[in-house]
Amino acid sequence: MSSPTQALFANRWLPVLLVTPLALLIVIFFYVPIFQAFYWSFFLERPFGGGSIFVGWANFARVLADPQFWEAGKRTVIFMVIGSSLAVLVPLILAVAADRQLRLSQPARNVLVWPKGVAGASIGVIFAFIFNPFVGILSPLNQWFPGIWAPGIDGTDAFIMLIAAHVWSGIPFNFVILLAGLQSLPRTMHQAAAMDGAGAWRRIFDVQLPLIMPQVFLTLVLEFTESVTSAFALVDTMTKGGPGGSTNLLVYKIYVDGFNGYDLSGAATQTAILMVFVVLLTGAQFAFLGRRINYER
Amino acid sequence: MVENARSLNLVASAVLFLGMLYILGPLYLTLTTSTQSYEFMLRNGLVWYPGDQFFTNVIRIFSETRIPQQMANSMVVAVGDAVVTCVLSFISAYALVFFPVRWGSVVFALILATIMLPLDIRVITTYQVASNVLSPINALLDVTGLNGLIANVFGAPIAFEWSVLNTHFGLIAPLVAHGTGTFLFRQFFLVLPKDLVKAARMDGAGPIRFLFDILLPLSRPSFAALFVLTFLGGWTQYLWPLVASSTPNMQTAVVGLARLAPDMEGVMPDFPLIMAGAVVVSIIPLVMIAVLQRYLVRGLVLSEK
Repeated sequence: MSSPTQALFANRWLPVLLVTPLALLIVIFFYVPIFQAFYWSFFLERPFGGGSIFVGWANFARVLADPQFWEAGKRTVIFMVIGSSLAVLVPLILAVAADRQLRLSQPARNVLVWPKGVAGASIGVIFAFIFNPFVGILSPLNQWFPGIWAPGIDGTDAFIMLIAAHVWSGIPFNFVILLAGLQSLPRTMHQAAAMDGAGAWRRIFDVQLPLIMPQVFLTLVLEFTESVTSAFALVDTMTKGGPGGSTNLLVYKIYVDGFNGYDLSGAATQTAILMVFVVLLTGAQFAFLGRRINYER
Repeated sequence: MVENARSLNLVASAVLFLGMLYILGPLYLTLTTSTQSYEFMLRNGLVWYPGDQFFTNVIRIFSETRIPQQMANSMVVAVGDAVVTCVLSFISAYALVFFPVRWGSVVFALILATIMLPLDIRVITTYQVASNVLSPINALLDVTGLNGLIANVFGAPIAFEWSVLNTHFGLIAPLVAHGTGTFLFRQFFLVLPKDLVKAARMDGAGPIRFLFDILLPLSRPSFAALFVLTFLGGWTQYLWPLVASSTPNMQTAVVGLARLAPDMEGVMPDFPLIMAGAVVVSIIPLVMIAVLQRYLVRGLVLSEK
């Protein structure tokens, strides 16, 4: 990350003019909404105008005393941990396999990016059908063991369905990044390890995986944020937060509270808490995990 | 390298096969189901072989639902998002890399920070801002006391109002407010040879000439990569178009598709029709991926570096 030195154009207003359009959009649609979320969390907003009253920390007290908030927060964290681990692990295994230059490698590299073109909401609709307990792929199971697969009643089943769709959607990006990482490793590294008597299996764990830790770390960091947010489309199309709130993740709860319940202050307060959480999480990952990984090649 | 790694190669092949099955299975089932009739689906459930009702279902999608209109909206949003993002990111990155901008790195950091908090997290207040884009100016006038002054002089305070909700502009603008494109172009500009500017200047090219005659042609592959990436991003958006459009005619195709399923409990949805909708809605981005795969992969890799 070196800044370019000499040989620059000296012009004072042109660069300002060029940055302004994007900067303006980012201020209006990124920074103002963030500021407003924090601002509103200290006020009691009436829906559709009608003024607002400063209430100090009362909104936070109300939200934090709400067991549903903690429930949604807990489910968000569970979804984040399981969902993003799998969404990195599955592409990682696939990337290691595709890196071996087999007959299937080329078609796999093509097919595995397809989900990028299928919207989260579309795959939600599709998985809701495929896992439908009456007509879906697991419905024969229900004929032999009635009630064994019931995502409409059993929260765990609904959660599994959600994770399966999330991992499906996450494959393209993580697979491409991890495969690019693997392919950037010098072949000599393999050859040297092979000379030292390391078999192909051994080299995966002792050479390849340690060396692509930067990519694994990066996909994991991005995946954590992704899993907190992209879950909305899946929840809205597959489970609507049910059954019994078992898939009511925080992004979904904020949407329902704000747009269906007109509780703008509550929704803004939860937004503020979620944003602080995401930023802290990203920061913590860079601080604790990032430092331990050897970036040198 | 000559080496016997048969066990590993066998396992790897199996892994790749399963991976492809995982991706293609749901898509294949979507396709076969879209070729069945509702009655057939009720009787037989999900089947792995195709039927003959595909065109009936697709015609129903085009005649009975608003998906055609919504596809047009998706097209406008995806192309708009991609074009505007490409242009604005390109000129922003150009300004930040090739000019000695004071606070340049701070501006870049502020642009890059947008990656950390996606639109879905801040949807509630972004919606409020979109309902009156000029509200920050109102707030500014109130806070500075200027409005009190104006109220004294003219009898009433000023309150600007401009809602972009339920407009194509409103659907696109918040998607553009994102830093990936600037980041991507900046990374590309930084690895260009430093003598490029020197040589251009020596030949008498000014900043504008340099931008159009040298930088633009060189950046073509980056443009293609970013275009594909943002087009797909715009097409597959869900939460923002859902809240920002208040009439079905303004919704995007993905939102329309999700609305095809009835909200009622206990009614078996018309899955063949919905799956035909899913095919129709996903065909454009999927064809794009198949054709422009190279650029998509490059875009994904570049957006990370």
